[in-house]
Amino acid sequence: MAPDDHSNSKQQGIDLPAPTSAPFVCAFGVTLIFSGIVTNWAVSILGFVLALVGAIRWWHEVLPDNQKECIPFQSERPIVKPKVGGVAHLMTADSPHRARLPMEIHPYGAGIKGGIAGGIVMAIIAGTWGVVSHGSVWYPVNILGSTILPTMQGDDAAQLAQWHTASFVFGILIHAIMSSLVGLLYGIILPMVPHFRLAFSAIAIPLMWTGLTWASLEVINPLLQNEINWLVFIGSQVGFGITCWFVVSRSERIGTMQNWSMLERIGVESPNVPPIGGDE
Amino acid sequence: MTALDHSGNPLRAKATFLGRMHEWVSTADHKKLGVMYVTTGLLFFLIGGLEATMMRWQLAVPDSSLLSPSDFNRLFTMHGTTMVFLVGMPILLGVANYIIPMQIGARDLAFPRLNAFGFWLFLFGGLLLYFSYFGAQGLYGMGSSPDVGWFAYAPLTERTYSRGHSTDYWILGLLVSSFGSIATGINLITTILTMRCPGMTLMKMPVMVWVMLIDAILIMIAMPPLAAAQVMLLFDRLMGAHFFDVQGGGSAILWQNLFWFFGHPEVYILILPAFAYVSEIIPVFCRKVIFGYPLMVAATVSIGFISLGVWVHHLFALGLSPMVNTIFMGSTMLIAIPTGLKMFNWVGTMIGGKIRFDTPMLFSTGFLALFLIGGLTGVMLSVVPFDWQVSDSYFVVGHFHYVLFGGLVFAIFAAIYYWFPKVTGKMLSETLGKWQFWLLFIGFNLTFGPMHVSGMLGMPRRIYTYHADRGWELWNMLSSIGVLVQIAGVTFFVWNVIQSLRKGKDAGADPWDGWTLEWATTSPPPEYNFEEIPKVYSCRPLWDLKHPEDPDWKYE
Amino acid sequence: MTTLKAQSMTVQAPPEPKSQLLNSGKCGMLCLIVSEIAFFGTLLAVYLFYIGKDPVGTIAPSDVLDVSVAPMKVVFNSIFLLTSSIWITLAVRCLARGNIMGFALWWLLTILFGAEFLVGTGMEWYGLIAVEGLTIRTNLFGSGFFTVVGFHAAHVTIGLFLLSLVFVLTCLGKMHKRHAEKVELLSWYWHFVDGIWIAVFTIVYILGN
Repeated sequence: MAPDDHSNSKQQGIDLPAPTSAPFVCAFGVTLIFSGIVTNWAVSILGFVLALVGAIRWWHEVLPDNQKECIPFQSERPIVKPKVGGVAHLMTADSPHRARLPMEIHPYGAGIKGGIAGGIVMAIIAGTWGVVSHGSVWYPVNILGSTILPTMQGDDAAQLAQWHTASFVFGILIHAIMSSLVGLLYGIILPMVPHFRLAFSAIAIPLMWTGLTWASLEVINPLLQNEINWLVFIGSQVGFGITCWFVVSRSERIGTMQNWSMLERIGVESPNVPPIGGDE
Repeated sequence: MTALDHSGNPLRAKATFLGRMHEWVSTADHKKLGVMYVTTGLLFFLIGGLEATMMRWQLAVPDSSLLSPSDFNRLFTMHGTTMVFLVGMPILLGVANYIIPMQIGARDLAFPRLNAFGFWLFLFGGLLLYFSYFGAQGLYGMGSSPDVGWFAYAPLTERTYSRGHSTDYWILGLLVSSFGSIATGINLITTILTMRCPGMTLMKMPVMVWVMLIDAILIMIAMPPLAAAQVMLLFDRLMGAHFFDVQGGGSAILWQNLFWFFGHPEVYILILPAFAYVSEIIPVFCRKVIFGYPLMVAATVSIGFISLGVWVHHLFALGLSPMVNTIFMGSTMLIAIPTGLKMFNWVGTMIGGKIRFDTPMLFSTGFLALFLIGGLTGVMLSVVPFDWQVSDSYFVVGHFHYVLFGGLVFAIFAAIYYWFPKVTGKMLSETLGKWQFWLLFIGFNLTFGPMHVSGMLGMPRRIYTYHADRGWELWNMLSSIGVLVQIAGVTFFVWNVIQSLRKGKDAGADPWDGWTLEWATTSPPPEYNFEEIPKVYSCRPLWDLKHPEDPDWKYE
Repeated sequence: MTTLKAQSMTVQAPPEPKSQLLNSGKCGMLCLIVSEIAFFGTLLAVYLFYIGKDPVGTIAPSDVLDVSVAPMKVVFNSIFLLTSSIWITLAVRCLARGNIMGFALWWLLTILFGAEFLVGTGMEWYGLIAVEGLTIRTNLFGSGFFTVVGFHAAHVTIGLFLLSLVFVLTCLGKMHKRHAEKVELLSWYWHFVDGIWIAVFTIVYILGN
């Protein structure tokens, strides 16, 4: 079972292992040995004899030295020709399609600021609606608070118009957190929107958000659906969107590291400084 | 087999039929053995497909009585066993046998005679398994094949429950053929590690060689435990030992662990070659170097490692402790990461390439799509609660057919279309190939897509019929219709092979403008492969020769 | 492939590749040993799993395999098997130096020591089966014991057969210095059989009690 020598001994041909039926006979014998278990012991005996015969022939092939056969060269010889025509290289890091990632972004703080400003505008619109339609500025904040306060979940319009301390605290808290988080999201997404950023923030997102709220309200608090005026809801969202867009887009832009090399990104080299000894 | 004889050897080519048979039987040439492996694998594929067709025929309508329950049990056992051990294994070993030595610039495998021995063991093992149809009651009865499922769960396989010799045939047939697989696996490892041509360092091997190295290592490690488990089962049955005999204190769960400790690596043994073929074909047909070669290698190695530690996900429904289940759920999800990496690398190779949609590329693209679906349902199944819901249902059947048929078989067809010109010197017909691809693709999805639905609706696998009021009729009918479409596709393939062998277009040495060493010699190659052992300087030696002004070794 | 080389010389010459070749015989033998270890590992894992799972009242390992009670039996045998590894190493060294006579002597000693182990195992089995009444059908311990030790003994037998074959060839004068490498591979197999015995001994005779 030693490796066969693949050397190129003579010029007319190449030595390869000689064909032998030993493995075939031996394998057949081994199979018969096993078949005897389920048929008849005589089959196993026959198999053993065959396997032994095969094995002995096999050893004759390899044991003093491996048997070889010289295969003469064939007349046809393959030639690998160089191909005419140049090689097109794929464009790498600075190619245009990478520019889809934002090369410049707004600072994250701008998004949060926009969210807070938008939240204030939203609260003003909602409060105005409360005063106009139900005569109470607390009405909208109570709706928000009642989504998580179990004690308020059966309340009718009259009860919602009254002052509830807990509901006020929770309502404002929810509103503040949601506003700043959504603002943060605006700040991150807006630089990636290629065109019509105002339409995106003032129409597309408010509509999507309203749809999401409308669909999930069934799960959160089904009774509330009657208490919300969806038109005003959309209006307050649009107010949020415009304000947030305004604040975010007025902030300064900072460049990303998209087109920096790996060494520059991890701080080994500084960007835009030619390397020492560079012949640029 | 003799029809494929293109040995290119003027001395020994005897005109007589007997002489040619003797030449094939006594050969130690890796190319002839490779052709015999693939041909027998494809023949067994037709047999296994026939078994599947009969099962789908039975299941097409509810309350069908075409097949008896015991016949049905035999069919699914033989179908599974055949497809895994007698189709997947020989084809992957055969393609590796043929291609690997040429890709690494060698003249043969390290142990040519052992290679022949391995092939004949595989073939005789397979024939022994099928002989059970005639001799499984011993030689005194009618005979019938094994009927215990391809994973042969104890204690169903014990003497008490499985009378006669059918289970013994299952054990012995697989034992013999797995000896052959282990021998060939060892042969491949040795060849790859020791016989590379000058200049081919490990990181300059084609991706296929890397993948097959890991595959062979898995064969070497995972198949002996199966042999050990089968020997213990055999001792139970023949000598009255008690390993898996529950009355005698033995453990049925132990068998499940032992089987799947082999069985899950086996799944990766089967799918890794698919990765190998696709990794060779996609770059050539996109005219781009493979994307992320080092990552590809690292992903292959980590798949090899992790696959040895995920087998318990087959046993989620067994009632092991939540801790064990959670650990194996984690490892199973972990293996999706390197596999996903490979998907991204293939897609990354395609992006920006000048893609030619010849049949090999078509099948490779089909592989990407179908294997992705199979991989995703695999991740779904790795979640224990979901697995509990659909365990042993047709959802699982759909999942692993998307992996092994949509994955492996599509990649095998891609490989056959890709290397057939090299092996025979003739091109396969592109028109017939495209017909085959689309029929197979549509038929495949029609058959196995609805299985996810019927599985979700609660249809258990391995039932021989079902009542009409379960809501499974439509889905089963669709699956069965899909089989007809697939048969049409396979018929196109058989016709294509016959036609092309008789009057196919001449291929020439390098029909696809390939980059690995097998394309540097004639088609079919001479017995010695290379007149002079080539020297390589990069991953793509033929690219270097074709583009001397811009060779790869400048960049590596 | 002459052309292949000729053309690569016309372009700017790349760095000349170094050829790197492991010995394929050694690599193949190592792989065989790894797969054998996987096989025995499975058998031993099953044996470990079943330790102490037999119902009380049937024959237990401590009844028949206690090393401290009858140290001469199995420990004696093990010493024979393990020392044979030393003799085979000495034999291979002799052959590598071209000392055929020394090779034959050490080789014969290896065969005799291995045969002693096999006879010892046979006597132990006879005692267990005929005197103690422990067979493969008795209980889980019987099943595991005879399977594990039996497979090890089968490997020793195969090894002895191959060793004897080489010995016969040596006596016929067909072994030469250049065969040292093939013979060394056989010695690796023998070392593996010995190494596995250490694992079998530890698990069956020590942990099993």
